Formats: sequence, structure tokens, C-alpha cells
Amino acid sequence: MIDKVVSSFDEAVADIPSGASMHVGGFGGPADWPAYLIAATARTGIDELTISCCNMAGVGPEAFAKMIVRMTEGASPVGWNVAPDHVTVALLLERGQVRKGITTFSTAMRGAMKSAFESMVEQGRTELELTGQGTLSERIRAARAGIPAFYTPAGADTPWAEGREVREIEGVRCVLETALHADFSLVRAHAADRQGNLIWDHPSSFNATMAGAATMTIAEVDQIVPLGDLKPAEIEIPGAFVNRVVLRPSTPMTSWREAH
Amino acid sequence: MPERLTPEVIALLVSRDFADGDIVNLGVGMPLYCRRVPPTDVEVLFHSEQGLLGFGPIMKEPPPGHKLQTAGQQSVHPMPGMSFMSHDESFALVRGGFVDYTVLGALQVDAEGNLANYQRPGRITGSLGGAPDLALRARHTYVMMTHTSRDGEPKIVERCTFPLTAVRCVDKIYTDVAVMRIEAERVLVEEYAPGWTIEQIQGITAAPVAPAPDMREATLA
Repeated sequence: MIDKVVSSFDEAVADIPSGASMHVGGFGGPADWPAYLIAATARTGIDELTISCCNMAGVGPEAFAKMIVRMTEGASPVGWNVAPDHVTVALLLERGQVRKGITTFSTAMRGAMKSAFESMVEQGRTELELTGQGTLSERIRAARAGIPAFYTPAGADTPWAEGREVREIEGVRCVLETALHADFSLVRAHAADRQGNLIWDHPSSFNATMAGAATMTIAEVDQIVPLGDLKPAEIEIPGAFVNRVVLRPSTPMTSWREAH
Repeated sequence: MPERLTPEVIALLVSRDFADGDIVNLGVGMPLYCRRVPPTDVEVLFHSEQGLLGFGPIMKEPPPGHKLQTAGQQSVHPMPGMSFMSHDESFALVRGGFVDYTVLGALQVDAEGNLANYQRPGRITGSLGGAPDLALRARHTYVMMTHTSRDGEPKIVERCTFPLTAVRCVDKIYTDVAVMRIEAERVLVEEYAPGWTIEQIQGITAAPVAPAPDMREATLA
């Protein structure tokens, strides 16, 4: 019998070693993030990680706690990517577990604020590889699809794509981008079955793109349903791309330090 | 100096160009005002980078746990016909040339249509988001921004000094004082805010500006 369901988040991430490369899903709101998998990764204490994630612009829980104290009346944490009941990849950045980040957002939305990532880069503790969302998503898609590299117009003659091979194709200057494979993909989906088939109830963003683009794909889901409940036509990511499935608890976490 | 236009009015000026069936992507910041302006009969499909097409108006008070958001993290209503896709498919849509208009903010734009909007001066990190593909591959790339920076520096320049997001991609610039188009490496003023003269606009612009043949006062009529 195929059964990809793992009983705890700590068990699901237990074999991620220091120095691993990881795709981490996540975009905007709490429903986009594999928050429990990120928290469990933080608890393992592993470091020297290379993380590719669309949005690495959040502040970590420690900075957030300080901000809440400083916040004047009327200010709202919406848009800062950290609500008290969930975490983002900023947790791993703030704790110094990340050696390199490959991302499209490294700075906070409000120009005057500093993200955990920006502070780490300034201190020379983390390296930044900045790219655009079209390039990042296609590099990850290509890795899953077995395409080693591709040419794309984005980045030609700009500093952020400097050093890439440039070639003119049908009159358009294009840069050569390579597939981005990882050791682990941590993704968030709405529901799964025991075979690892995944569906979403809102845009899947990088979560669907990253599933299968790693040696080991781990999905964090709101629901696990009996096999056969997911209709074939509604399955966005087939279980073939997924190795492990973990169910989120019904009560939200209050601290990333709590074991799940 | 005469009064400057509000973001709401600039958004209305930008929105005049949208036609039935157009796919429109709005960048974060001021361009999001284009989703706040009153609805018209025109059936435009708004696209958001994470794989959202055809979303509805912005929600004033989203219920707890509301999941449907734009890339600018504004909660929005669903709409009939709305569709979801993965991030790579969302950028297949962008790169494949299916987006008719992208409206982006900018730190600098120059007379060649080059766009700089990812790294603020004095910072060593930045944020590109989806801008490179949107700016290069949308049928029309509009910049919507204040004409000058918070410190009063011109944002429309002869050659960008900030790092470039994408080259030769901007068609039109909508600011709080004028609507301009980039044509043959020149900045042509199509419309000016009420009371503004071409000399006053030139005074706060670091690239040579010229009146378009049909230059007129900006009007929403």
C-alpha cells in the first residue's frame, strides 16, 4: 500500500541535513506558507541552508515581537508577513540557519523597514541571489521537467542577471538560465490523500511549482481525505511529485518552538 | 507650483485605456489604486503574480482566514470566471505575451524607456518581484508614480543611475503632474495636470521633455 502520510512535522523534516538545498513555498498570506514545516526545520537547528523562496522579505518572530512593542496605534502588521500564529522563512533567516537565499523579494515592502534577510546580508552572514519571479518559477519548473537550462528575455543587459551567457534569438536578447533542483521541497497545499495527490483552494503559487523539483518533496496540508475523494480532474499536483504528506493541527501554533 | 493629482485621479487616467477583455497586472504601491477606482462596464481581467486571474474588487473588511489576496497582499472578492494557476503557469501567461497592460511603480525611468525599480539607493539588497517579465513582455508597460522622489529629486532622468530591472520597456509614464509617452528616446508630454506648464514640468524632470503634437490638459471626461 502507498502511504505517504507522516505523523509529525518533526519526523517529516528529521533527515534534512545542514548544508541542504531547499525550495520553500510561500508568497503572501498565511495560507501560502508551509509554516509548520519551516518551524520544525528551525527546531532541528540545522544550518548552512541554501533556500530558494519567492518571498524572503519578512521579519522574524524576534524582530516582530520588538515591533509590536514599538508599534504606534493604528499601525497594522498586515503585509509584514508575520502574524503571531504563523511563521515564514524569515524565521530561519533570523536564526542564522541560512547561508544563501535565492529569491525575488529580499527587502520589506515598506522601504524604511529592514527584513531579516537584509540585516543578515548586511552582516555578511547570508548571501543573496536576486532574480525575478518568471525566471525563478521557470528554473524550478525546468528542474522538475528534466530541462537542464533555457533562454529567457528577462534580465538581459541588467545588473541582476550579470554574468549569464547572452544570446540573441529571433531578434531578442536572452540570457541562459539553468534549472534549479533542490534536495528538499517544502510546500503547502489545501488537501491531500495518502498517495500524495494535492489540491488547492486558492492560487497554489510556488507551492505547486516546487512540488517534484527536489529529491524529497514534503507537503503540509489542511486536510487528508480518503483515497478516491479527490476527483482526478481537480488534482493539481499528482502524488508522483510528492514523497511525504503531513497534516496541520486544527488549533494554530502559538510558538514555533512547540513540537508538532 | 500648481496642485498635483491624487493617486485616485492618476488611477482613473491610467484606467481609461483598459478595454473589454484586456488582462491587466498591477504592481505594488500606487498602481493598486487602479483596482480601487469605481467599476465601469469594461470587462477587464486583473492578473496577480501568484497565479490569480480575474479577481474582484478589494475587500474593505476581510473575514479572519480570508485567503484570496493580490500580490500586494490586499484581500479581494472572488468573481465569476476567476481562475487559479501555479506560479510557473502564471509567468507563462506573462512571458507568453497574454498580459495587455502592466502598471508598475518606479524609482527611476529614463528617456530610453529603461526601468529601475528594484533597489533603493544606499541598500545592498532589493526586490524584483515579477517586474522583469511583466515590464518586458506585457503589450503595454505603464509606470505610475510620483513625478519626484520624497526628497524632491527627479525620477524621470536622461539615463537611469539606479540598477535596471529591465531595458527599453516603458511605453508611458503617469505621474501626479503629467502623462508622458516614451518615443524615439524622447519624453513627450501628452497631458498635464490642471495649471501646469511644460516649463514647470521640465523644471522637475531630469530628461528633456517636449510637448506631444496633441498635448492637452488631463481630463477624466
